[in-house]
Amino acid sequence: MIAAIALPRRPLLRAPSVIPGFGLTFGFTLAWLCLVVLIPLSAVFIRSAGLGFQDFIDVGFSARALAAYRLSFGAAFGAALINAVFGLLVAWVLVRYDFAGKRIVNALVDLPFALPTAVAGIALTALYAGNGWIGQFLEPHGIKVAYTPLGVVIALVFIGLPFVVRSVEPVLADVGHDVEEAAASLGANRWQTFRRVILPAILPSLLTGFALAFARGVGEYGSVIFIAGNMPFVSEIAPLLIITQLEQYNYAGATAIAAVMLIASFLLLLLINALQIWSRRRMAS
Amino acid sequence: MSIRLENISKRFGAFTALGDVSLEARPGEFLALLGPSGSGKTTLLRIMAGLEFPDCGRVSFDGEDVTGLKVADRHVGFVFQHYALFRHMTVAENIAFGLNVRRRRDRPTRSAIDARVQELLDLVQLGSLGHRYPAQLSGGQRQRVALARALAVDPKLLLLDEPFGALDARVRKDLRRWLRELHDRMGLTSIFVTHDQEEALELADRVVVMDHGVIEQVATPLHIYNEPASAFVFDFVGESNRVPVVVARGKVLYLGQPLDVPAIGADGPSELFFRPHDAEIVKSDTGAIPALVAQVRPKGAGVRVEGKFIGIDRPFEIDVAAEDAPEPGRIIALKPGHPRLFPTHTHEDQA
Repeated sequence: MIAAIALPRRPLLRAPSVIPGFGLTFGFTLAWLCLVVLIPLSAVFIRSAGLGFQDFIDVGFSARALAAYRLSFGAAFGAALINAVFGLLVAWVLVRYDFAGKRIVNALVDLPFALPTAVAGIALTALYAGNGWIGQFLEPHGIKVAYTPLGVVIALVFIGLPFVVRSVEPVLADVGHDVEEAAASLGANRWQTFRRVILPAILPSLLTGFALAFARGVGEYGSVIFIAGNMPFVSEIAPLLIITQLEQYNYAGATAIAAVMLIASFLLLLLINALQIWSRRRMAS
Repeated sequence: MSIRLENISKRFGAFTALGDVSLEARPGEFLALLGPSGSGKTTLLRIMAGLEFPDCGRVSFDGEDVTGLKVADRHVGFVFQHYALFRHMTVAENIAFGLNVRRRRDRPTRSAIDARVQELLDLVQLGSLGHRYPAQLSGGQRQRVALARALAVDPKLLLLDEPFGALDARVRKDLRRWLRELHDRMGLTSIFVTHDQEEALELADRVVVMDHGVIEQVATPLHIYNEPASAFVFDFVGESNRVPVVVARGKVLYLGQPLDVPAIGADGPSELFFRPHDAEIVKSDTGAIPALVAQVRPKGAGVRVEGKFIGIDRPFEIDVAAEDAPEPGRIIALKPGHPRLFPTHTHEDQA
């Protein structure tokens, strides 16, 4: 860190800039990221490396683990998709309209952030169980929510909603009213205005919200285990599988599953990031 | 196309934006709505466009009532103050927007749209910039893209909200002249909003001066400048000096002393206005206004003399020939030329 401040006659990493403090802040950023993110994560890999290649494959890619990955990533993806649609709607309402109780609605959006996830899980389970308030109406139609993968999706929708709303809201507010009026004055109807003018402008932020909701969904544990029922091969999520391994003192096995999840998550987030860059480049700022 | 506004009123909550405004624009006319901010000029323009709806009154185009029609159905070109370009579209896509959103049976073919876009790009002198994004253009170029986009749908009426407001002085002047030529060439009816009196006088066929939601005067630029209908118009259009006087028995009294100007107007407290270039420095101080010179600066062919009227705490500015320039600190006698008298506005009058 200190070297980075004192050294550069000719900085290696950047062009000369008028904003001071690059060395200090960049050094701090790196140190912080190492301490908080990189070191714990590398511990996961070091730990799982103790397993040996064959064992790693056996544990990390067992049929039960594969089913759990499929559920974790699939449900998180589905929930993030649902949130992208309805979170956008909520953000739209919050930005565009003034109504009585707007502040309360605004606060409600953040509730999933603050609520202990176990509370959410228990509440949702009670609602969607066969004899619950909502579940009793769904059950006669053959729709089972609690203790099925559908329940997992519902829990993740609940958890992920604020990510989309809060990502989209400021950008949507920033899309000037005059741009919409301009579209209307050129003869566009409401749908064309939304589809061709507003949506492209907020797409990057919508993708951000989607990525955050998705990432949160993949890692979510507390709310899901109550509603999922946790049947192996059906409604068992990957984080639970890790806990199960830990409870059997199989630390290496737990880290093997964790390592697979980590790599998959990282690749998916990288992909979403690339998508964002692509959509932002089309805005050509 | 002719446009007619009858008895338009508009309130926003307790604020009266427009109070019973009537106005007519003739086909092919270039009209300026001039006024300070809050005078209702932009609201009036937006009502013409269908972006805002009057509380009462009637809007008609070519005699046809369009009061209830929304902006999308009025077929007017509207240029927004900050251009309102679509940032994620190229210049060409921006211009083509109005054609691309048409219903399939009304929509020109792809190649016809491309040809029209190129034609418009050439018209606004941006021929080779069609592939750029708005962020890659200068302010003046963006303004012209906004104009081309509005013209793409062949409007008969072009409405411009502060079209040159965000541009620097030189670009503004060029664009002004260019816009006037464009207007004449295309045979449009154009109405633009501005708070810059110079712009209004230079560009428009007729100027509509507005204040506090009412129209103060509608006339040609020359008429507005030479024969202002009210104290507000005199003050707002062009530079002016004003002194408080009392009109009594055919005389104009300044601080009790008669001034050497004709007393046209009703008896009572009044304001006497005159233009800086109409004033004269005279030798004798009878019938003239005494003033203290503070500054002398070059202006055009002559000099601008600034200072304060003696006896009242009001600044003055006059233009005189360089050889007549008094020294700063001197007391001079001013004789107003082409003066105008308006009865003093009391606050009750304005409310």
